[in-house]
Amino acid sequence: MTQMIQILILGLALGGVYALMSSGMTLVFGVMKIVNLAHAAFIILAAYISFWLFKNISIDPILSIFITMPVMFLIGVLYYRLLFASRADNPHFTDITVLVTFASALVIEGLLSYFFTGIYRSTNPDYATKPFLIGPFFVPQSQVFATAISILVIIMLWLFLKHTRVGNSIRATMQNRNAAQVVGVNVAWVSMVSFGIGLALAGAAGSLLSFIFTFFPSKHVAWIGMLMSLVVLGGMGSLMGAMLSSFLLAVIASYVSFYLGPSWAPITFYLALFLILLFRPQGLLGKKVES
Amino acid sequence: MGTLIIDNIVAGYGSGPDILRGLSLTVESCKTYCIIGPNGAGKSTLIKAIAGLLKPRAGKIEFKGELINGLRADQVLQRGICYVPSDRSLFPDMTVKENLRMGGYILRNSKLVESRIEEIFCLFPVLREKSSQMGKTLSGGQQQLASIARAMMLKPELLMLDEPSLGLAPKVVQQIFSTINSLRQQGLTILLVEQNARKGLENADQGVVLDLGTISFERPAVEVLLDARIQELYLGKRTRPLQVEARK
Repeated sequence: MTQMIQILILGLALGGVYALMSSGMTLVFGVMKIVNLAHAAFIILAAYISFWLFKNISIDPILSIFITMPVMFLIGVLYYRLLFASRADNPHFTDITVLVTFASALVIEGLLSYFFTGIYRSTNPDYATKPFLIGPFFVPQSQVFATAISILVIIMLWLFLKHTRVGNSIRATMQNRNAAQVVGVNVAWVSMVSFGIGLALAGAAGSLLSFIFTFFPSKHVAWIGMLMSLVVLGGMGSLMGAMLSSFLLAVIASYVSFYLGPSWAPITFYLALFLILLFRPQGLLGKKVES
Repeated sequence: MGTLIIDNIVAGYGSGPDILRGLSLTVESCKTYCIIGPNGAGKSTLIKAIAGLLKPRAGKIEFKGELINGLRADQVLQRGICYVPSDRSLFPDMTVKENLRMGGYILRNSKLVESRIEEIFCLFPVLREKSSQMGKTLSGGQQQLASIARAMMLKPELLMLDEPSLGLAPKVVQQIFSTINSLRQQGLTILLVEQNARKGLENADQGVVLDLGTISFERPAVEVLLDARIQELYLGKRTRPLQVEARK
């Protein structure tokens, strides 16, 4: 029993980070119908920024969030303007985004390999290796901090979407793009800002990831598959869905990892993707697409 | 006062063919215009072009003496022209109140928006009861009502309604039209596109028949209702049931 609870705790302690990683991706899909296959690559890019800051000027990776978020926001805005803004009216927009973002992921991977080589990296602040001990249970401090901050960022995102004028215009555009235009929302501007916010979330996720996992430039290939399963399972474009599926799969994967071995853990995500596409393609909390 | 002058406009979607082909229409203030015509005649396209959602390829649209073609949708709203689309476009996962708040999006003044919401609730008491319900949980008629109310948040001078009766039960259609009539009495200028030609014309001052992207016919609504050709094409002959459409 103790063991079961211990595994549950470890799973939950990762769930928050997964939720943060997938929230940016699902937001970008929800607002603009962009399938951002480079999302994981942008997360890894942010992890390298944190790594560079930690190694060269000893900035704590958690504090580096204050740098990675605005930097990634700007990258997102520029990236959107450069590659997507002029194509937003194309009837095959979503198909185009799959190819463009896939290519971008490879470019980012190439650049990171060039500047940082392919060596496994991670930041190692003091808390990276220490656990918290609560009675018979233990949790790595790094995971507790990472998940707590992830949840904090997600709550701030939620408050922003719910209670600010820009946030309302983003939600409106997600729910009904046409109606948003009718009430005077400049959807082109909202799309650009949302893409920036999506990448800012990737930035925060990257900083947190830098001290709980090791990473290398091609690591995004493994992450994007996992992110796709989280986003599709939750329902593409549904933030609540992404939260739910992140915690759910993190816990299941943690049991699978313990009882069948860590190499089986990724199977959890792909199996979930397979099953959801078979039985409920709109995802747990997603909306059916009306033809 | 408040006239909308559409002069020879040409419009279409993307790189597709022209839907509106040199259409001209003058809308006088405080009157209700019912636009009828077969599918594909360009009724909705005309309204989208006025609302700034579709850029005309040629021609002029003038509102109160100011050129408005080429303006963005939010700039058109700012000049007092509001549009209620045909798909009852509420935000499904926002409450009725949040939907109304979005109606005042361009006002940039939350106090003003809240006081307008209060005024809307006095005008449409049903919406006050439903104020904290999600848009998607409302019935079809309530959604239509809320869409109209959302457009009224800006106190427009010209209200454009695209098929407000679409997919609603006859009794509900009656309620929607009595709402529209009360707005008429307040002196609002209304452009109404209707598939239900009889109902639309009965509730309008002026009837406009659109065909192949131009106005083929414009008369006082009563005359259009009684016109033999129109009766046969759009209203169904008197011996036949009402609402026979001229589809296909």
